[in-house]
Amino acid sequence: MTTLMGITFSTLLTITQIGMYFGFMGNATMIIRHTDADVWVASKNIQNFDFANPIPEDRINRVRALDGVESADRIIVWWGFLKLPSGGQEQVQIVGFNPDSGIAAPWAMIEGDAYDVKGGRYMIVDKTSEQRLGKLKLGQVWELTGKKFKLVGISEGIKTFTTAPLVFMSYNQSKAFFPANTATYVVAKIKDKGRLGEVVETLRATMKDNDVYTKGEFVYKTVMYWTVQTGMGMGFFLTAILGLTVGGVIVGQTIYANTMEHIQEFGTLKAIGAKNSDLYKIIFTQAGISAVIGFAAGSIIILLLKDLIEKVGVTLYLSFWLFVPMFFIILLTCLLSAYFSIRKVKMLDPVMVFRG
Amino acid sequence: MDIALETKDVTKIYRQGGIEVVAVEGVSLSLEAGMVLLIMGPSGSGKTTLLSMMGCILQPTSGTVRVDKGVVSGLSIDLLPDIRKKYFGFVFQSFNLFPSLTATENIEVILRLKGWKKADMRETAVGLLDAVGLKQRAGFYPRDLSGGEKQRVAFARAMAGDPAIILADEPTANLDSKTGNSVLELLKDMAETFGKAVAIVSHDPRAEALAHRVVFLEDGRLRQ
Ligand SMILES: Nc1ncnc2c1ncn2[C@@H]1O[C@H](COP(=O)(O)OP(=O)(O)OP(=O)(O)O)[C@@H](O)[C@H]1O
Ligand SMILES: [Mg+2]
Repeated sequence: MTTLMGITFSTLLTITQIGMYFGFMGNATMIIRHTDADVWVASKNIQNFDFANPIPEDRINRVRALDGVESADRIIVWWGFLKLPSGGQEQVQIVGFNPDSGIAAPWAMIEGDAYDVKGGRYMIVDKTSEQRLGKLKLGQVWELTGKKFKLVGISEGIKTFTTAPLVFMSYNQSKAFFPANTATYVVAKIKDKGRLGEVVETLRATMKDNDVYTKGEFVYKTVMYWTVQTGMGMGFFLTAILGLTVGGVIVGQTIYANTMEHIQEFGTLKAIGAKNSDLYKIIFTQAGISAVIGFAAGSIIILLLKDLIEKVGVTLYLSFWLFVPMFFIILLTCLLSAYFSIRKVKMLDPVMVFRG
Repeated sequence: MDIALETKDVTKIYRQGGIEVVAVEGVSLSLEAGMVLLIMGPSGSGKTTLLSMMGCILQPTSGTVRVDKGVVSGLSIDLLPDIRKKYFGFVFQSFNLFPSLTATENIEVILRLKGWKKADMRETAVGLLDAVGLKQRAGFYPRDLSGGEKQRVAFARAMAGDPAIILADEPTANLDSKTGNSVLELLKDMAETFGKAVAIVSHDPRAEALAHRVVFLEDGRLRQ
């Protein structure tokens, strides 16, 4: 029973940690991944998606001028404050996109259409922001950093790392919040995906005071920033390892205690003619069964708790492909823990059975 | 008579912390099919040590043990489990049943160890319990069996897989005299009816009456 609790606990802790880590990273790179662009041009030494410096907006011309480029768009990612009905205000993240091309537009619309932001002070806010902003309804007018905006659409599940509510609007409107004649990103689609590397190289050569990344590179850069530079990844990793270690020790201890409790029976089996390998099989089978049951229990608890955890605002990324390797890691931990018992049984002298 | 087991000049010297204890010294004896050999002697005279060497659980310091005409002393320790499995059934003073298994399962475990097929195990196990008069207790766990019944299950288990030799160390020590009696009868039965070569260690005077041959150990030596 203790064995199972140990494994369940381990499973719970490691999977939530890893799930949260993937959740955070998924959010941090969500807009990059969903934006239909092959190349991102940003300010020099950019670290991640959310924090970038303005670049001259006419950089778009240099990008467009390049042979391999099919189309290019500008995006503004900036900050603003929404005035709440209560009188307080909430910091929000503004994304200005080109509604004609739809590049960097919100993709999971549940009400309205991304195109609706065109031509005025219109905005789209994500449903998950209701926790901070209160009930969202089309037609509502909100004051965003001193300017009135009408809510014309609601998306669902679009988040960023900062957890600030996302406010989508047209690029032209977002310029009002941003230094004149600048943008945050210039993104481009290229004609021949096979020549991606070549195009990126040329852009880098021609725009030395900008950073140029492929979509994959930018995702990687952002993930590495949050994981390594902020030390956050290490935090999750250590907690996950701690979970495994604590679980492993509990499992090892209980299997060991269990083996010692039955040492007389193991001795009897040995006397009767069981080989060490026969006994190892028994112990490893026990450990394996414990691993399966404990892992299943832990997984079920996580799936049940997922909604609760996400209500707090933490994204838990759980997928089949997270559970599969985790199962093998837990199984391995259990088998390793069982190893201490193996040694005890190996040394066991069957002569003991005749000695009361 | 078929000689199932033979010892020749077996000696066991325990070394512990620089002190040597000669537990058994120069014992030669033979065990025949269909016969009960009783080993008697005072406490500490080396009875258990001798029985352990006969049962290939303990390696003699010198001398030889032959089982089924093959010399087993001097073999690698890794080979001994297979020899025990093939030739021996053991009965212990404190029964040593597996508490989490029923009477039938206690026997099946041994059959499985001996490589039996699952399909044949149940019938054989119940048959063995029937032979010791416990067919009605087949589904009982050891905790629900009396001492005498436990020892009968242990006998049935020792018979599992039909080994040629049965070794029992003080099988009646934990039983009252009446149940002890019936267990001794069972031992005799194993030899006479089933043709086993049986060796037991016992202080029980009734065992003496029932054994075909009795040897006395004194300070590790056979008293002639
Ligand atoms: N592992 C061991 N190490 C050292 N000495 C041992 C060991 N096992 C037994 N002895 C000694 O060997 C001698 C014979 O012991 P053994 O257990 O064979 O006697 P026994 O005749 O079975 O006694 P009892 O009737 O009390 O069971 C004893 O003096 C005992 O102390
Ligand atoms: Mg003894």
